Amino acid sequence: MQDLTKEEIRALGHAVGLEIREPELTEVTYSLNALLEALEAVNPAELEHVEPLPILLPSA
Amino acid sequence: MEKSQLPFLAVAALARLIKTKEVSPVEVVEAHLERIERLSPQLHAFLTVCHEDARRTARAAEQEIAHGAYRGPLHGIPFAVKDQLYTCGIRTTAGSPLFGDFVPDEDATVIAKLQQAGAILLGKLNMTEFGTTGFSHQFSTPRNPWNLERYTGGSSSGSGAATAACLCATSLGEDTGGAIRFPAAWCGVVWLRPSWGRVSRYGLMPGVWSMDTLGPLARSVTDCALTLEAIAGHDPKDPYTWNVPVPPYTQALDGNITGLRVGVVREQLDTDLVQPEVREAVRRAIAVLRELGATVEDVSIPLSTHTGAISGGLRVEAPMRYRMLLQSRLQEIGHDNRIGYLTGALLPAQAYYKAQQLRVLLRQQVLQALEQVDVLVQPTAGLVAQPVEPDPIIDSKTKTNRLSWLLTTTYSLANCGLSHIMADSRQIIWRELLRSLCKYSLRA
Repeated sequence: MQDLTKEEIRALGHAVGLEIREPELTEVTYSLNALLEALEAVNPAELEHVEPLPILLPSA
Repeated sequence: MEKSQLPFLAVAALARLIKTKEVSPVEVVEAHLERIERLSPQLHAFLTVCHEDARRTARAAEQEIAHGAYRGPLHGIPFAVKDQLYTCGIRTTAGSPLFGDFVPDEDATVIAKLQQAGAILLGKLNMTEFGTTGFSHQFSTPRNPWNLERYTGGSSSGSGAATAACLCATSLGEDTGGAIRFPAAWCGVVWLRPSWGRVSRYGLMPGVWSMDTLGPLARSVTDCALTLEAIAGHDPKDPYTWNVPVPPYTQALDGNITGLRVGVVREQLDTDLVQPEVREAVRRAIAVLRELGATVEDVSIPLSTHTGAISGGLRVEAPMRYRMLLQSRLQEIGHDNRIGYLTGALLPAQAYYKAQQLRVLLRQQVLQALEQVDVLVQPTAGLVAQPVEPDPIIDSKTKTNRLSWLLTTTYSLANCGLSHIMADSRQIIWRELLRSLCKYSLRA
């Protein structure tokens, strides 16, 4: 997966109402790229059959 | 007993003295207030000390007990809470000057419950900004009572420091990814992260909605159990609390672990993230468990090595909570949170979805491990307490995970209950409580 550029990070920020400038822009670019890369690398075989349930509550 | 010695007593011991009227709650509170005044310049554990409220409540407790209206083992016991919990008429900051003038008009449910049990609030404890697990403090940085050059761990940093330094008899922290466990481990106290839903979060200034929990830090297992008994249970104000009975935790402290099946999580012990001295301390603790009659075997939770990525994928939750501040007051937010929240706010929905799927698989792996054994054992943190240092600038992708050695997130993601006992002590006598935490809490 190709890293996002600073311009792409800035555009993503703009899309959610955040104007990201330096020096934060450089750090956020590293941070988001590292996070996406780490998630990309985790692919257990059964993943596609799993529903994304965030929490587990007792039945009664 | 000299008054100055009272803060060193455990809750259970103080309770006996108060019940028998050998010691008054007024004496107990005064002894703690004196200690807070004397040690605060070094420890920075408190953000607000409630001197007069505590004295007034102590006098009322003294009168009640004198007239035979003893409420139970927390009556007259001084406690303190992380400044993330609403306190009626008392400033509540969540560790940020942005909330420096915020004064709630009601108490968090856990505080109301402790006060109903007769406990006396001494004050509000320091914490990292917004309760983010890590190092960044906006007021002052609490110091580790065992070594003032070292950090306490966070985010419940003040809870760790105050409890370890005997500035309160018991305390409450909030734990998202390890925020009770981390300071308790580095300050050498007992902690308990209840299962998600066991304790009401009403009146908590939230961090990560799906992982936040409230729990005690104390200096003994019994004190932790006493505190948990007081705060656990269904709360109509928090729809996510479980409407199931609270087990009698203190009655479970029978001292017998014969036959207890202990699982050592190999991925979390035999890893480069764990310092040799930490690994050795855990091995000694395992040897003690075996000596006391437990059977020990290895278990595997393969996804536990990826919890940084999985929890990272859920990072959108906190910046959504504080999005107005991100948009309007970004530069007033501390460096670590500024970068972390901006990163979380930009996460693609696909990443969040995948992280939730991985979380389900991780939870299944934890449950499978608990089919094999009764309790799991691993280090809380891979490192011993580190020096107090400023936030590092992120100048490469490899420097983005400052807390990779914090081994707590697996169970936050699984929403299960946990406890920690000092690796060098012999307080590992908590059979039924541990069992109920690990199994009942996940399945009840």
